[in-house]
Amino acid sequence: MNPLIFTTILMTVLLGTMIVMMSSHWLMIWIGFEMNLLAIIPILMKKYNPRTMEASTKYFLTQATASMLLMMAIIINLMHSGQWTITKVFNPTASIIMTSALAMKLGLTPFHFWVPEVTQGISLTSGLILLTWQKLAPMSILYQISPSINLNILLTMAVLSILVGGWGGLNQTQLRKIMAYSSIAHMGWMTAVLAYNPTLTMLNMLIYIMMTLTMFMLFIHSSSTTTLSLSHTWNKTPLTTTLILITLLSMGGLPPLSGFMPKWMIIQELTKNNSIILPTLMAIMALLNLYFYMRLTYSTSLTMFPSTNNMKMKWQFETKRITFLPPLIVMSSLLLPLTPMLSILD
Amino acid sequence: MMTYIVFILSVIFVVSFVGFSSKPSPIYGGLVLIVSGGVGCGIIMNFGGSFLGLMVFLIYLGGMLVVFGYTTAMATEQYPEVWVSNTTVMGVFLLGLLMEVMLVLYVLKSEEVGVVFKFSGMGDWAIYDTGDSGVFSEEIMGVAALYSYGAWVVIVTGWSLFVGVLVILEVTRGD
Repeated sequence: MNPLIFTTILMTVLLGTMIVMMSSHWLMIWIGFEMNLLAIIPILMKKYNPRTMEASTKYFLTQATASMLLMMAIIINLMHSGQWTITKVFNPTASIIMTSALAMKLGLTPFHFWVPEVTQGISLTSGLILLTWQKLAPMSILYQISPSINLNILLTMAVLSILVGGWGGLNQTQLRKIMAYSSIAHMGWMTAVLAYNPTLTMLNMLIYIMMTLTMFMLFIHSSSTTTLSLSHTWNKTPLTTTLILITLLSMGGLPPLSGFMPKWMIIQELTKNNSIILPTLMAIMALLNLYFYMRLTYSTSLTMFPSTNNMKMKWQFETKRITFLPPLIVMSSLLLPLTPMLSILD
Repeated sequence: MMTYIVFILSVIFVVSFVGFSSKPSPIYGGLVLIVSGGVGCGIIMNFGGSFLGLMVFLIYLGGMLVVFGYTTAMATEQYPEVWVSNTTVMGVFLLGLLMEVMLVLYVLKSEEVGVVFKFSGMGDWAIYDTGDSGVFSEEIMGVAALYSYGAWVVIVTGWSLFVGVLVILEVTRGD
């Protein structure tokens, strides 16, 4: 793609999300979502093969449906409250429809079916943008309407998402699908605590973005999209095997790595609000996630995965320059001792 | 009948939407889109928005739909689908018509309808001239406000249209 056009389109994706996050008028928020959607389609279709086109079409259809539902909720809200300012949504119908629309945009169950298929069909860099940047805009709207979201629907979607994200990722060997199911599960954790303490949602989002960025960049660095291909990194750059180990265990939520911080805070906040069964279930279902991360680390860092002798040497392409990889790795694994700093968020 | 003209026009509006949602060939979809555009223009005009209604005819029907019609005519097939040619299309069209007829009967019969939002009987559909709206027409002032207070909206929508063209060119470029 012509670099000037590519820069313009990428800046429009950024502009769309910025408009969503900074507007106080519901119509501008909807315009921001549409601008974001329109501009990310050519980024998803950077390579012209039928798989990327199918993935882009699926993404466009689901996000456009979600935008239509959002518009309907906005108009119902307008009819009942007479104003366009984004505050609590007072009407329950509008609130339910808006929550469903934003859940479709995020990829929460039962609207999660597009996430693995779209992530698998596009290149690693586009998948990176899809799973990190595109989650910012809907989450910011959920944050702003969080006092009025129907708790039953929200918690059901969150728990089902954690379950589906864990269970669905068990049978995957393609790395992009594994990251997609990981994204579904993390979105479930984020929305579970939304009604109780939205700050923790933002904390979880921040740490999730850092960890996902690190994982994707490590995959891009070793040019691997399957587990088998990733298991040959010991041959190419042995250091990245250690880094993959640390980051994956951090994603699984193991202390003393920084991935434990959001899970710990969320469970603490939920138990403070007298719900015991829910965080127990969530923690148990996070084990499913941990299982397939551990399987990935087992095949990559802990063992020399069996393969035929002529496959052991990986073809050495020119080393890609990955921006900010060392700071990202440090941030996604060593932030746990900084947890007391969260008190500044009061 | 003139008191309930908005209701009648909205029924025709919904029926024409059903007409193209049942997915005949795009040429016939464009045909009912013309009807729905004209009827939508009528609805807006009944609320006092003569300028916006004219905009619908000129820009939407006379600009965008004409271009759509030309491109569809270039890409059409030899025997395009009509509503009666395919069982599925006819079934969906009749189903949509049936639902609309049932909704109309429900509205006409009962005093209060509360499906997603409530309106009480046919009275709510009539337009009342609610007294003095001043010397200037409200909707012209709205358009003027778009270009003065709403400059940011103009910038955003203008940029979206520009990027829309870029995106479409990128997507259809191929390799």
